[in-house]
Amino acid sequence: MNALRAEFRKVLTTKLALWLLAFSVAFTALNVLLMVYLVPTSARMVNSGQLLQIPAYVNSIVASCANASVFVLIIGIIGMTGEYRHMTITATFLASPRRAPVMVAKAVTYAVIGAIFGIINFAVSLGLATITLAGKEHAAIVPSESLQTLGGVILGFAIYAILGVAVGSLIRNQVAALIIALVFVFLIQPLLSAFVDWTTAWLPGGALDAVMNMTYRQGEATSGLLTAWAGGLLLIGYAVVLGVIASITTLKRDIT
Amino acid sequence: MTGNSVALEVRSLTKVFGRGEGVRAVSDLSFRVEPGRVTGFLGPNGSGKTTTLRCLLGLVSPTSGDTLVGGHPYRELHDPLHTVGAALEASGFHPGRTARGHLSVVAASAGIARARVTEVLELVGLAEAGNRKVGGYSLGMRQRLSLATALLGDPSVLILDEPANGLDPEGIAWLRNFLRSLAAEGRTVLVSSHVLSEVQLTVDDVVIIRKGELVSYGSLSSLSSGMNATVIVRSPDSIRLAESIGQQASVTVTTDTTGALLVTGMSAAEIGALAFAQNVMLHELHAQEHDLEAVFLELTSSEGGAA
Ligand SMILES: Nc1ncnc2c1ncn2[C@@H]1O[C@H](COP(=O)(O)OP(=O)(O)O)[C@@H](O)[C@H]1O
Ligand SMILES: [Mg+2]
Repeated sequence: MNALRAEFRKVLTTKLALWLLAFSVAFTALNVLLMVYLVPTSARMVNSGQLLQIPAYVNSIVASCANASVFVLIIGIIGMTGEYRHMTITATFLASPRRAPVMVAKAVTYAVIGAIFGIINFAVSLGLATITLAGKEHAAIVPSESLQTLGGVILGFAIYAILGVAVGSLIRNQVAALIIALVFVFLIQPLLSAFVDWTTAWLPGGALDAVMNMTYRQGEATSGLLTAWAGGLLLIGYAVVLGVIASITTLKRDIT
Repeated sequence: MTGNSVALEVRSLTKVFGRGEGVRAVSDLSFRVEPGRVTGFLGPNGSGKTTTLRCLLGLVSPTSGDTLVGGHPYRELHDPLHTVGAALEASGFHPGRTARGHLSVVAASAGIARARVTEVLELVGLAEAGNRKVGGYSLGMRQRLSLATALLGDPSVLILDEPANGLDPEGIAWLRNFLRSLAAEGRTVLVSSHVLSEVQLTVDDVVIIRKGELVSYGSLSSLSSGMNATVIVRSPDSIRLAESIGQQASVTVTTDTTGALLVTGMSAAEIGALAFAQNVMLHELHAQEHDLEAVFLELTSSEGGAA
């Protein structure tokens, strides 16, 4: 319990979380505005009015807060690598020499923070979508679909934060960890999806889209996504595997 | 402090970093640190002091041997921060956190009340600066914050790694009195340093290592007693006196450039008695103070000095 309180206090005594929350909200807003007012280049044969008639597309506008998941990944990475970068890990392990509970406390803390980020970003995308669509002719925002998105964003963002912590404890160099994670999210994952179709559903991004009901990207329905339940389980699987590897290496590591 | 006295024990500790040959940082090191005394842990840079302390604190796993705090490995302590307070070299602070924020995080991790944070800030003289970000702190202020962190749990044992680094002379004097008073309360105090003179006036006992191996271990006074003291003698009749001193067994006499005799192997009292018996007038007779720093340098120099 003490370890958990300490982890929360760590987050609350720096400004990082607030900055990242602000960036994530701005990014979500941008996503909604683009989806409502513009049509992606790849889908120029249709116009935005037509896209807005498609129920799945409208629900994806609400779910577009999924794209803010990268900020949650970043907060997990910075939170963990920051301990090594500033050598506060020494104080952490002096206070709690049994390291496993520390890792659990960190995972729980960042999962909660991820979930909070998720809820706020969902509120922004739902609110902004409702406002901007008001004057237009559009398919309805279906409450039950939005509810699924809400559940998905809570689970998905919690998992992404844990993944960030795990990546950060495996790659302790902050810059390296951030670069590797961002290269994966923005370069490797899209490349794999583009060239090896079936990977889309099984990559973390595809699993997050599935659980969040984010079925439209670049103006086209994503093909072959898992069901929401399967996507959620897959995400949990990623977190468990990566988390266990990260914990085991951290338990043995010399802190010098 | 919980009231009980807690000794530290290092038993046949060996630590090799890396695979294969690796870096042998500590080699078959054994010593005990007693409560109620200040123990200096001395050795040149890279001799393995920080590694030993990190092993003692459960941060580094020994290759072989073990380390005990009050008879238990650190990792098995029930309430570590109330037992041991440590300020280690290269343990750090988040630059964006205030001193108060940093301490409140550590306090939370050990279930320590926030009021104690204010107390330790005042204790180390950071009451004013406590709400400023640590990023703007000087090295001396960071040392004080490290010390405050170590004191948070009012521990029975204090382990400080090079605490005098970055302190001004006034700070060093303050630290000396502070550590003496902690030991006087019955606490165990272990202070590392790479310069003996920095802690010479503070410590009761010394543990000296070189290249990870023990070279000397005991009270500070025993460190010097093994060395031959030099007695300086001035006399208007120094030639006759030197002759009679030179006749004594296992005594050496040399003359320095000012004409004074430097005698080893005889005490000042013995020389005085000899001069009296010979009717030689003396102008000066005194035993030279031990130059502990020289002793230390000799013990830890790379060529020699294994005790
Ligand atoms: N994590 C590490 N990996 C490899 N070598 C290390 C590590 N930490 C310390 N060393 C080496 O161990 C030796 C002892 O270092 P240290 O304990 O820091 O000495 P001191 O504190 O006395 O200056 C040095 O040669 C140092 O380079
Ligand atoms: Mg050191």
